[in-house]
Amino acid sequence: MASRALAQCVRSLARASARLNEGRSVCVLLASAQRPLSSWTCSQRTSRTELLRIPSPSVHPCRLYSDAPPLTLEGIQERVLYVLKLYDKINPDVLKSTSHFMKDLGLDSLDQVEIIMAMEDEFGFEIPDGDGEKLMTPEEIVTYIADKKDVYE
Amino acid sequence: MAASSREHVLSIYRLLLKESKKFPSYNYRTYALRRVRDAFRENRTVKEAQRVEELLNIARKNLAIIQRQVCVGQMYEAQKTVVEQEKQKSS
Repeated sequence: MASRALAQCVRSLARASARLNEGRSVCVLLASAQRPLSSWTCSQRTSRTELLRIPSPSVHPCRLYSDAPPLTLEGIQERVLYVLKLYDKINPDVLKSTSHFMKDLGLDSLDQVEIIMAMEDEFGFEIPDGDGEKLMTPEEIVTYIADKKDVYE
Repeated sequence: MAASSREHVLSIYRLLLKESKKFPSYNYRTYALRRVRDAFRENRTVKEAQRVEELLNIARKNLAIIQRQVCVGQMYEAQKTVVEQEKQKSS
């Protein structure tokens, strides 16, 4: 019967997903999927749902609410300098916290746009064009981000 | 370049880069980013206002193209390439 073949597929799925340690919640889902099949065929399918109940005592369905660890000024500065060092047009030996992008590091406005976009990606928030244009040293970027993210000493 | 057109150029550069990053396909994404950067760098020294305006129009058309293709690409996503999977494993 087609339903038996389906049930077998579902069972092998359950075995595979139990290996991935999602035990109880998946079994509940699968067990509930089994019930419509069993109601159609009216034979003893309850034994199959028993077989599917794979014990996994460590998995409790729960929700995890958490935020990222709080930012510190040193942390922000470290990340900003790290991203700048990864940028291929900047020489990492010359890079300091106060080095001006255009005057000291010889970059142009297009590079500065790319740097600000890299900072947006790193810290995960939008920096508007007008503000982004004015940030010309790593120090300024750090103070701007600290300002936006409410990070105090 | 006049102040307003400089602003235009930088903002359209930003928009182009942002849209190009959204491509789901590795090849399109890297090509678009590379081509945008190279095209802007190539035309960096252009001074005549008319030529700048022409180039800005080309840029706007390409921005529209990229936006449409990003949508299409996101609708019909293919398998991730090996290069990308490796990056995920290492990070």
